Amino acid sequence: MIRVAAYVALAAAAAVLQATWLAGFRPGGAGLDPLLLVIMSVGLLHGPEEGAVVGAGAGLMQDVMNGVPIGLGVVSNLCAGFCAGLGEGRLYLEDVWLPALAAFLLTLVRDAVWVGIGHLVGLVSLAPLADARMIALSACYNGVVAMPVFYWFRRLDRALERASKRAG
Amino acid sequence: MSSNSLLRRRRLVLFLVLCVAALAVLTAQLRTPDQRRIGWAGLAVEVALAPVTAAASHVGSGFAGAWSALHEIGTLRTENARLAAEVAALRQENAGLQPAAQENDRLRALLGFKQQQPFQTVAARVIGRDPSVWFSTVLVDRGTRAGVRRNDAAVTADGLVGHVIEAGPGWSRVLLLLDPRSAVGVVVARSREAGVAEGQSQATLRIQYLARDADVQPGDQIVTSGLGEIYPKNLVVGTVTGVSRSGADMFQEAVVRPSADLDHLEELLIIVRDERPAAQ
Repeated sequence: MIRVAAYVALAAAAAVLQATWLAGFRPGGAGLDPLLLVIMSVGLLHGPEEGAVVGAGAGLMQDVMNGVPIGLGVVSNLCAGFCAGLGEGRLYLEDVWLPALAAFLLTLVRDAVWVGIGHLVGLVSLAPLADARMIALSACYNGVVAMPVFYWFRRLDRALERASKRAG
Repeated sequence: MSSNSLLRRRRLVLFLVLCVAALAVLTAQLRTPDQRRIGWAGLAVEVALAPVTAAASHVGSGFAGAWSALHEIGTLRTENARLAAEVAALRQENAGLQPAAQENDRLRALLGFKQQQPFQTVAARVIGRDPSVWFSTVLVDRGTRAGVRRNDAAVTADGLVGHVIEAGPGWSRVLLLLDPRSAVGVVVARSREAGVAEGQSQATLRIQYLARDADVQPGDQIVTSGLGEIYPKNLVVGTVTGVSRSGADMFQEAVVRPSADLDHLEELLIIVRDERPAAQ
């Protein structure tokens, strides 16, 4: 329960950060996505089910907060969380480069699903080159920031686990 | 069946169920007029997070202000002198313009012109912005308590910005013109040719449904037509930058650059309807 509350608070903080401070910092037109990094961390540490559920919940909150049609963020972040979870138990989490690579790939997956479904339902008009440039740039930013974020998230996760055990 | 394959199947089922549920919600949303509708739970989330967003925005502005003050401290004296001179010049200019404004008012009265709609406006500060590349909304710090309602138009001194799609007690969400969900009835100011300006997730708008022989040229100013219930008539929307028509098309299309700087919005005015009292 403590872990769930902490994840909700963390996701809300990431969404607020994204809508305020980071919204004004978009070099090259693309921005950082701290919410995706939270979803990635949960998926890598706790598996595809938890990754998918946290991804869907965070996507829902992002949709509600950002004024977009509800469902688009849910399904794209859900896919990202599920894909991250597939690496649980298979990947060597101590590798320094793992979070960077995972964040890069998950940004590609999440944004591809976002643009694909958005286009499918007529919400997003495709501009392949511009979209690809923006997605690649965003993936690079997320990849760079993912290393400290994942390291910090693992420490937080261990602390939450200890707290849960003490409480239980 | 082994426990491993059971686990894999369970994961897959959960994933598919969540995907189908999300897509069902999305398609249901797309059938609503604004392609978005949130219930009381969504509103509760927004109500809970709006003050946090406003606080974060204030803190961010404070940091940005302190940072720029540190940067500018060296040039402060010369800047101050330049500004003082500029203020004096503007005062002089203002004093010169006041008689012209009075004369304008008198001529208006003489010609029997009436303002089409006596606008009441509420000033609002932008406290949040949709971070995605493909949609364009901003969150502002004025809501129903200040008289703002859904479908109120938002403007800056430069031109039209968009309209309110959601309003809470102390916040509202404004759908910008550039959002693909935005469509505004417009006319070409010079020739009064009518069309619909639609957002396309880019820096420009596209005017559709202009008659094939419509008189539209790059440089023409585009204003709202006043048709529909959202936007008052003759608000400046932007300037035509290009016109296209292929041989087989029934209509022309024009590309318009919005007059308002929608990428750097900090404050805006929301036009509240007459029948409601404006807070300020």
